[in-house]
Amino acid sequence: MKKNILIISLLVSVLAIFSNCKEQRAYKALIITGQNNHNWQASSPVLKQLLDQTKLFTTDITETPAPGKDMSTFNPEFAKYDVVVLDYTGDAWPEKTKTAFVDYVKNGGGVVVYHAADNAFTDWKEYNEMIGLGGWGGRTEKDGPYVYFKDGKQVSDSTPGNGGSHGARHEFKVQLRNTEHPITKGLPSKWLHAEDELYSQLRGPAKNMEILATAFADTSKGGTGRDEPALFTITYGKGRIFHTTLGHCGNGDKNFPAMECAGFITTFQRGTEWAASSVVTQSVPVDFPNSASVVQWPEYKPLSLDEIVSEIEKYDVSKSRKYIYDLQNRLRSADGNPEVLLSYEKLMVKILESNIATIDAKKFVLRELSWMGSDYCISKLKKLETSDDLKDEVKFALTRLQPSK
Amino acid sequence: MNSSRREFLKRSASTAVGAIILPQIIPSSALGLNGMTAPSDRIVMGSIGLGSQGTSNMKNFLKFKQVQWVAVCDVDKKHNQSAKAIVDKTYENTDCRAYGDFREFLEKEKLDAVCLSLPDHWHSIISVSCANKKLDIYGEKPLARSIREGQAISAAAHKNNIIWQTGSWQRSVENFHRGAQLVRNGRIGKVTHVEVGLPDGNRSIGTPAVMPVPAELDWEFWLGPALKVPYRGVSHWNWRWIQDYSGGQLTDWAGHHIDIAHWGLGFDETGPISVEGEGVFPREGIYNVAVEYDFTCAYKDGTTMRVANASRQKYGMGTVWYGDKGWLRVNRGDVIEASDPNILKEKISENEIQLYKSTDHFLNFLECIKSRKPTITPVDTALRSISVGLLGEIAMLTGQKIQWDPEKQEIVDNAMASRLLSRPYRQPWTIPTI
Repeated sequence: MKKNILIISLLVSVLAIFSNCKEQRAYKALIITGQNNHNWQASSPVLKQLLDQTKLFTTDITETPAPGKDMSTFNPEFAKYDVVVLDYTGDAWPEKTKTAFVDYVKNGGGVVVYHAADNAFTDWKEYNEMIGLGGWGGRTEKDGPYVYFKDGKQVSDSTPGNGGSHGARHEFKVQLRNTEHPITKGLPSKWLHAEDELYSQLRGPAKNMEILATAFADTSKGGTGRDEPALFTITYGKGRIFHTTLGHCGNGDKNFPAMECAGFITTFQRGTEWAASSVVTQSVPVDFPNSASVVQWPEYKPLSLDEIVSEIEKYDVSKSRKYIYDLQNRLRSADGNPEVLLSYEKLMVKILESNIATIDAKKFVLRELSWMGSDYCISKLKKLETSDDLKDEVKFALTRLQPSK
Repeated sequence: MNSSRREFLKRSASTAVGAIILPQIIPSSALGLNGMTAPSDRIVMGSIGLGSQGTSNMKNFLKFKQVQWVAVCDVDKKHNQSAKAIVDKTYENTDCRAYGDFREFLEKEKLDAVCLSLPDHWHSIISVSCANKKLDIYGEKPLARSIREGQAISAAAHKNNIIWQTGSWQRSVENFHRGAQLVRNGRIGKVTHVEVGLPDGNRSIGTPAVMPVPAELDWEFWLGPALKVPYRGVSHWNWRWIQDYSGGQLTDWAGHHIDIAHWGLGFDETGPISVEGEGVFPREGIYNVAVEYDFTCAYKDGTTMRVANASRQKYGMGTVWYGDKGWLRVNRGDVIEASDPNILKEKISENEIQLYKSTDHFLNFLECIKSRKPTITPVDTALRSISVGLLGEIAMLTGQKIQWDPEKQEIVDNAMASRLLSRPYRQPWTIPTI
């Protein structure tokens, strides 16, 4: 009897865990990859990580057969998923797979078109209607107009010519053209994107398409001199498509700055949620870049405050200042809000009082406290006035915090 | 003595002086000067800070026979040696004295004027010390590392009634004068906006290892009021990439193109009412000043001025005034251009505003020492110019829009940002009582 109860209670708790998981993960996502003119082996696990860490998605990756191989076996169960992320450009899919995909989108399925996926399937009419604009693959005026911004207005340009180009990779600004869309709401109107290919001269049917953000393709970098679409949405039947031209992941590259960019990551995560559901529940990260500075998340995720604090505790001047920089950015983005600053101040005082924090970390904290500290830190600083290692910096901070009359 | 005095008059006569508009009238200008009371026939000078800029400044002064250079002072013995050699060679003797401690230099030398070319974090203490000795000062821009320090230097200069010339030499160059004068006299209409482009930031050098201090350098004295840090091979010239000593290219160049912008606007005695913008600070390495900066100042009359590193500016380096009838741009290399070339051909008549004319920045200082009239870049002009750069730095460091009272020269209603108006000093240094 007792044994049975134990088994039952165990079962209940296991069930509870399962059902919890189900509650946490609202959406199922499928990443399709396996062929690409980019480094799909590197990019697709990152895309999965980006989605899974939002705790909104359970993400599967499916790979097509290799180029030139028999594609007839490739037939994912699209209907099982809320959103399909395309990290694919390569051989044509079997007709029945194409039909299933079109049906899936028409019936309200979400799609995310990631970077070179818009190079794919030049001759597949429905696909091109879904992606809105595409490039390369023999695209010309027969596939639709060029679409870009000029003098602040969207232009549809039927000039003959090839679709798809980009200049040298570089950091560039992404400028929002719609600040009210769920994907872009709350983001700064301009932000600096990490080194990436700036997709230009895309052309396509561009039906039911809304441009959310553009990037200026500077001629000095081999660009078109136009504001080129970078983020846009398309509706196709009942389906929602989010198209990001960002996030280049090159073959043979060791680093993927575009994929580490907080701006790419955040818009990809938000865009995927929108495609899956038409709403965005994720908040904008505090260290989202502004137009002055690229913010990169080396592990493809923002650091938690605790992680930042523990990294700062290990700081010495010969090491990278990236964690210090992160905290400084947070202090600056607090815009003088005393409550927000006080919460940081408390963490900074903890670093000062820590037995494991380095002297260099404490010196950094004292310099920052000298301008943004409140009464809260003053008594704590006074205890350090006789510290051999810190007394100059403590005096520096106290002099600023308590100006003589 | 007599020959050098004649030389002085000859030289002065061939150069525009103070408010004298037509320098070609040789007799009157020479007579005018002759009639002024000179403290002595020769101006006895010395210099503190003899790195590249200090040496260059001194060489410029040494060209003038009315100057007698008697001493040099630097915390680097090699600087002193090479500077003394230059002076001794000029006078064909070995009389130039060299000091490592500016206090001893000021105590022992009987000077009329000094030339200061120091890292910014030393400007306040040494400038005030010199002013308190009643020495006229040629001081490098920027006036000071912080606004409070700049205010202290200004107060000391006024209290002691000294002549101050700032190293903002662009004002003594024709294209800048001409451009500012055209703008000031409405040739591009009412100015609504100014764009100022200053150099892009430095490249990172990482964090060099701590290394032995070179025997010739007094590192402790070099740091002076700044927080103590171990020597990593960064001192002369490259101090400008570290916030403890400088605000980077922004503050280094505020005394040039922002100074010129103010001149054309007629804002030498005022400042912005708000400053907001953004900076990019390096994440790696020992250098920590903003490598990119972009901020906008609003003035009481509605004029705005954007200051940004050159690669963010349409026209790159220099000053571009935008008026309701066109624009005008000036930059180094004799650049002066306008939306309509005819603007540049405009004449300025006698009853219009005549901006201060100088054709030699060093000679202007020497003449003002004699005449006791203000130089072309007096201390308060320099304070207004660097205040823009320093307020921009505060806006970037705090992430906040800074409200500024240009009359009281105080940040309005922001205790946090106000703390950044000053830099506390390491003991035992303080600004001497004025």
